[in-house]
Amino acid sequence: MGIKVVERHGNTFKEKIYLHAVFSGMKTTLKHFTANLRDASNLPTLCYPEQKPTDITPRYRGVHRLTHRKEDDSIACVACFMCATACPANCIEIVAADREDGRDEKMPQVFNIDLLECVFCGYCVEACPCDAIRMDSGIYSVIGECREDFIYNKAKLLSIQGISKEEFSLAK
Amino acid sequence: MNTVLILLPLVLTLLYSLATVPVLVWMERRIAALIQDRLGPNRCHINGIRLGGIIQSIADMMKLVFKEEFLPSHIKNRFYYLVAPSLAFMSAFLTFMVIPYADTLTINEQSYSMQALPTDLGVLWFLAFAGLGVYGIILGGWASHNKYAILGAIRASAQVIGYEVAMGLSLVSILITYGTISLNEMVSYQTQSFFIFPAWGLFIQPLASIIFIVTAFAETNRAPFDAAEGESEIVAGYHTEYGAMKFGLYFVAEYIAMAASGALIVTIFLGGYQLPYLNTSELINNFELILWGIIAFAIVTSLLFLRWMKQHNIFAMSGLDETKIYTTVVIGFTIFAILVMSYYALGFGDANEVGVMLLQFAVFTIKLFFLHFVFIWVRWTLPRFRYDQTQKLGWNILLPLSLANIFITAIVVVGVNYGN
Ligand code: SF4
Ligand code: SF4
Repeated sequence: MGIKVVERHGNTFKEKIYLHAVFSGMKTTLKHFTANLRDASNLPTLCYPEQKPTDITPRYRGVHRLTHRKEDDSIACVACFMCATACPANCIEIVAADREDGRDEKMPQVFNIDLLECVFCGYCVEACPCDAIRMDSGIYSVIGECREDFIYNKAKLLSIQGISKEEFSLAK
Repeated sequence: MNTVLILLPLVLTLLYSLATVPVLVWMERRIAALIQDRLGPNRCHINGIRLGGIIQSIADMMKLVFKEEFLPSHIKNRFYYLVAPSLAFMSAFLTFMVIPYADTLTINEQSYSMQALPTDLGVLWFLAFAGLGVYGIILGGWASHNKYAILGAIRASAQVIGYEVAMGLSLVSILITYGTISLNEMVSYQTQSFFIFPAWGLFIQPLASIIFIVTAFAETNRAPFDAAEGESEIVAGYHTEYGAMKFGLYFVAEYIAMAASGALIVTIFLGGYQLPYLNTSELINNFELILWGIIAFAIVTSLLFLRWMKQHNIFAMSGLDETKIYTTVVIGFTIFAILVMSYYALGFGDANEVGVMLLQFAVFTIKLFFLHFVFIWVRWTLPRFRYDQTQKLGWNILLPLSLANIFITAIVVVGVNYGN
């Protein structure tokens, strides 16, 4: 029925003396070697940082950003702590505060992500009920001069632009 | 002059073994990269000069030298632990001593041997020290007092026992064919022709050469026989506990051992320092003709190289303009070499003996580097043998084959001699 009988290799004389397989393998590698020696311009190697990757899509998990609401550009996060709970690295720090403008009950007063501890797993994005945190910034290299530089606060996270089509939070 | 000629082979030994190590490391990286569709080292530079990436291996060596020398506290036999890498290094280095780099030079009735150790027992010396090299590994593995290290050491010793036998026996059939154990005489034997081929060991004794080359790979612990290191199974094998220059010595020893086996393979199977069909006296007599050939070759290769470099040296570093400097150096050197060579080729000076010696150095070097290429090429083609397969190959296949080869060779040699 669903059984596929695979022929066993390695029992014929030709296969047992190895040499045939050895030489054909060496032929393959030599082909690569000579082709690349003659013309190295076809190599897929990217001379980073002079050349930048061109294949970063919105689905690439880059540095986080906090989205805005479409109506008034205010912060979309409602400080529900779902992301902080989901985070396996425990690197999101939120302090909630009352929201005065009547749009919602709560908003974060402090929202810090420690990117040195973050493992870029994307669980926070999955957990968020308000589409308030996203990783679609397309930023793949984070640079700083001291440890504090890697703790991104609320203002910084709000200021990061996304590269996907949807700029604002899609939550209703 | 006298002293210079006597010291020359010693200096050459140093050059061929120690000075080629950075080049070998570079070759290993570049060839591996090109085989795997990558670029390889191209960043490390001294004020913009990268020498195609060789600076990287020099930087690595410097790093190893200046790293902190630490001693793991669990090690009881400090002396053996420290002596082991140098043992591996020294024996790898000493194997090189018997390789002839050129034919015996005769100037004013005095002859100078171009072997660092002018002995006729070259092959035996090689076998002895190639075998001793593994003691460094065994000692290091045992003194490290570490499971992985001892496993690596055991693997290395079992492998060497198995392959040394086959290596020795395949050499016996070679010795029967050449009728000598002096490496110099072997090389001069190979200048004859065998049907239409040059009488290289590779063509006269194909089976023995395959066995010898395979066992040489095993003897130097190179892939596909590097089960002693086996980083996917036993961490790093015998050098797990070694760091800094102690590891560096093992590392260099591996390359020198590779260079030494390469040199021996060149000498025994690829005609050594001789060009095919031509022996030394023919070379000396037709030296002008050969010089013209070399001049044409030099012009063509340097032009090809310049064109290739223009295409490929596009990724500029800060500092000096690399392409310009290399172009000047290559053109300048080619013109200088051509001037010198045409001076002799037109018959003004008479230094045929020395010229032929230099030519033979060059031939030897080219053949040696071709073999280095093969060693590296094989390493990046074949996966590591499983340990039981290594043993099976050694004892069940190579050993009987080399024994059979001895009998066949003996019969043929006796038959041919009887016929004559
Ligand atoms: S990506 Fe993962 S580790 Fe980073 S903040 Fe989000 S949940 Fe935490
Ligand atoms: S980012 Fe989303 S999950 Fe995290 S606290 Fe704000 S609303 Fe909740």
